[in-house]
Amino acid sequence: MPEWKPEILRRLAPLKLSSVRETEIADELAQHLEDRYHELLASGQSEAAAFRISIDELEGEDLLARGLRPVESDWHREPIAMGKDGDDFFSGILQDLRYGMRMLRRSPGFTTVAILTLALGIGANTAIFTYIDAVLLRPIPVKDPRQLVVFNWSAHGHPDLHGHSDYGDCANQADIGDCSFSVPFFKTVRSQAQAFSGMAAFAGPFPVDLSGNGAASMVRGLYVSGDFFSTLGVNTFIGRPLALSDDSSSAPPVIVLSYAYWVRAFGEAPSAVGRTVRLDSTTATIVGVADPNFTNLTPGKPLDFFMPFSLADTVRGKWYRNQDRLSDPANWWVVMLGRLKPGVSTVQAQVAAATIFRNEMLHGAPPFFKSEDAPALTLLPAQAGLIGETRQIAPALYIAMIIVAFILLIACANVAGLTLARSAARQKEIAVRLALGAARERLVRQLLTESVLLSLVGGALGVLLAVWGVDAISKLLSNSPGTPLQTIVAPDWRVLAFTIAITFATGILFGLAPALRGSRVDLTPSLKENASSLPATAAHAGRRFRLGDALVVAQVALSVVVLIGAGLLVRTLHNLHSINPGFDPQNILLFGIDPHLAGYTDQQTQQLYSNLQQRFAALPGVISVSYSEDALLSGGWSAGSVHIDSAPEKEYANTGKLAVGLNFFSTMRIPMLAGRNFTSADFASAAATNAAGKARDAAAEKAKASPSASTPGSPTALDEAYRRSAPVPLIVNEAFARTYLVKRNPIGLHMSDAPRGDAEVPDPGPGYTIIGVFGDTKFAQLRRKTAPIIFLPLVSNGTHFELRAASPRALVNNVREIVSEAGDNLPLTDVRTQTEQIDQILFQERLMARLSSFFGALALVLACIGLYGLLSYEVARRTRELGIRMALGAQRRALLRLVVGHGILLVLIGAAIGIAAGLGVTRFISSMLYGLDANDPVTFAAVAILLTLVALGACYIPARRAMRTDPIVALHYE
Amino acid sequence: MDQTTPQVAWKKGNAELLILSLVEARPRHGYEISKLIEQRSGGTVRFHVASLYPLLYRLERRGWLQGRWVEKSGQRRRRYYRLTRQGRRVLASQLRGWREFVVGINRITEAENA
Repeated sequence: MPEWKPEILRRLAPLKLSSVRETEIADELAQHLEDRYHELLASGQSEAAAFRISIDELEGEDLLARGLRPVESDWHREPIAMGKDGDDFFSGILQDLRYGMRMLRRSPGFTTVAILTLALGIGANTAIFTYIDAVLLRPIPVKDPRQLVVFNWSAHGHPDLHGHSDYGDCANQADIGDCSFSVPFFKTVRSQAQAFSGMAAFAGPFPVDLSGNGAASMVRGLYVSGDFFSTLGVNTFIGRPLALSDDSSSAPPVIVLSYAYWVRAFGEAPSAVGRTVRLDSTTATIVGVADPNFTNLTPGKPLDFFMPFSLADTVRGKWYRNQDRLSDPANWWVVMLGRLKPGVSTVQAQVAAATIFRNEMLHGAPPFFKSEDAPALTLLPAQAGLIGETRQIAPALYIAMIIVAFILLIACANVAGLTLARSAARQKEIAVRLALGAARERLVRQLLTESVLLSLVGGALGVLLAVWGVDAISKLLSNSPGTPLQTIVAPDWRVLAFTIAITFATGILFGLAPALRGSRVDLTPSLKENASSLPATAAHAGRRFRLGDALVVAQVALSVVVLIGAGLLVRTLHNLHSINPGFDPQNILLFGIDPHLAGYTDQQTQQLYSNLQQRFAALPGVISVSYSEDALLSGGWSAGSVHIDSAPEKEYANTGKLAVGLNFFSTMRIPMLAGRNFTSADFASAAATNAAGKARDAAAEKAKASPSASTPGSPTALDEAYRRSAPVPLIVNEAFARTYLVKRNPIGLHMSDAPRGDAEVPDPGPGYTIIGVFGDTKFAQLRRKTAPIIFLPLVSNGTHFELRAASPRALVNNVREIVSEAGDNLPLTDVRTQTEQIDQILFQERLMARLSSFFGALALVLACIGLYGLLSYEVARRTRELGIRMALGAQRRALLRLVVGHGILLVLIGAAIGIAAGLGVTRFISSMLYGLDANDPVTFAAVAILLTLVALGACYIPARRAMRTDPIVALHYE
Repeated sequence: MDQTTPQVAWKKGNAELLILSLVEARPRHGYEISKLIEQRSGGTVRFHVASLYPLLYRLERRGWLQGRWVEKSGQRRRRYYRLTRQGRRVLASQLRGWREFVVGINRITEAENA
């Protein structure tokens, strides 16, 4: 028998037809030639002659191609055997897409559920990633941020310093070390290091009392070096930036506003430039408004204006008493930035700067380290080095990201289950295609195209959900006062790339298993009618549904993990809320004032406080009024060491310290356990002692500055006067008595401050006398263990008032009036209630509890949809079998058990796996938990029970349908 | 294209009409169509593979014919072409045109030869 096809195919080759079409034509033409050949043989021709005549039908080499070309060039390629291997990859993809869209339109129910599920998964991931991007990944808003480095030092021992401040710009990577340096060191590096094209330093921001533009208010000012703007490459929106000349102490005081503050406080008035304002008690001129994009350098540290270092002595100078922060090399408080010269690597610059650092630290005057301390300097890219508040939020965001990744996995498993059930229904279609010669790879591609198409639509919808979600999270964040997260959250190309990537990954992830399984069809039974309902294929179907079962088990397991995490975080929040803080936090209004910033002396401060206290108390509805240096549970606290007289030498009691006003304990409702409360006389006595101490310190400073000058009160006389003053009366809490005064009556005991610096003996001041013991309270944080605290009479410094009243929020306006009447230039800060204050310090916990419980609920719903879908499909598929069972006398109850039993079995397996996984992974959030173990049995059990109950509901609906099967109808089915 | 003999020119103009009329009564496959044309024309009109099938595909593309693979017992599968509803209308109008043409030609030639 002659081979016709090669002859034909050779002539078709120039047409470059799709292989489907080519084969079809070759088949038809070969048949024609075959017929002709047989006819010629029958008419008595020799085989050779018959072959020659037949082949002549093709008329030369190119006539066939020429005849076919105009017809075939625009042949509409309706897929006859869809999935048959094509030559042109892209036309194949287009074909797949067209076909996929048709298939999805044909089953709207499946398509809707799948798209919604995917949209939830992709949307949740996009929303959380948008936050991660905004908080952790976005480049700092300066020119060429990669060229900008931040200086960090580390050492084995502590440097010998007069002052050392850290404003939370850097992560402390070493035990000893940070990114604070002295101004003289900054100037040394600036003049000596050749590796940098520019240097800059900054410190803060500091709260500053700004007046001269409406009511006085507290604003945040950042000290910057004159070259700050030029080195960072930041311009001004209007006016001029600060310049090196503004650094000189003789320069007139000038400031540059941040754009946001200019909008907020000056209503975008261009005339703001040139105006003067008062900062604390210094008058400064506004010379410019910074670029709108330059919000802040360190994430999460918003600021209102920039001021040159030359103002450091006058603005907020009192905090540092007489220490000269600008020329003292032993006062480390500024962050240093350098811009690398083009072509200089970070390593080269680091070598150069580290040499200067070691030289200054070990051989400078004075040296700060011994050589064995091995002081070292490292340069970090500014983006990585200046992390600020992000370190507080980062763990929460990463955990949220993991949770939403779980959600996406659940969504994938869910849609994979649906697709699988559907591909079972499409078995016949696929079998037909395979029978027509479709290649398996091509079928897999077709099925994957459908799933990617689904995920693309889901992704598009997910982006909309994400926009809404970001908005919702932002609202959640902005509802809480003083949130640490004040970043502008807006999607950018990274978010877009992320979403596109996860959308495609999702489509392939959930589509792959069903596609591979779907293309592995056994042709013979599939092509028979009603194959799916014949018992003969039960084994076949059983195998298929093991994958479906596995997907449901996976969903249940994943959602159990998410739910356990959510349960632990919610219970943590609940535990924290139900902690008894030791005082009554309800119905208390808090606000801060700092008269020192407005130039009040200690004595004036005292008078102001008692004046305010009386006037507040006279307000209607106010129950009692007091004040304290820090509000309780504000996150801030101070501590120190004291020496109890009877204790062995050098044994110091470490304790929290809080200066409080009159009636503090009764206002906060802290119970008295022994002794007595503070009286006005205690405050007078403490004030006298405080004044004597300050006089002595001031004289000592003066003597140090000019040893020859004679002063009216000689230091030794003042020293004597101070030592002879009355000991300051103080109150200890129960924890202090329990920890340091075991089995002793604390009342009347005397103690003194631990020695300062290198002094070997306790400070020979008048010390303290314990007059009372009060109940324990939480001080800075709810999570911390109740610690020893000593309470002192507040006789100086800024303060936070506490007003206990029936409806504290209603008092705010009255309070503002009273404060502005009592003292000019006194801004109120941090107005909030005590419960809001607690919410604020529980910010992260609340965020985590809300996010995780929302996502936990989502996971539960998705898993139930998956379970419901699987069982519904099962029941529909087995209608005939159920009908036969009923016809043979099966009880409806037994059918119910059959379906529900299957569902519950899957749920139990999934829950068991989920709990095992939960035992493994919850320890990663154990640092966030409070009052319960990461493997808290109550949470685990509650999740298992909740899941089983909800799953029962999901099983019940399809089971009821199975139960109501009418045997007659069922047997006629299909 | 110097092989334009009268026969070839005739074929080009009327091949469509021939094919459509041959499948009017029942579906036929390509070889059958070519055999019928050859037989009924007494061997004067012949279509080879290289010209017949492009024509068939064009007619199919226009929607006048519909091809379908048919497998009959004991035979190999063949592609049968059936006249579509549209093809039937086209055939009717082409036949009408042809008959009018023939009548016209006859009148002319009869008048000349008479």
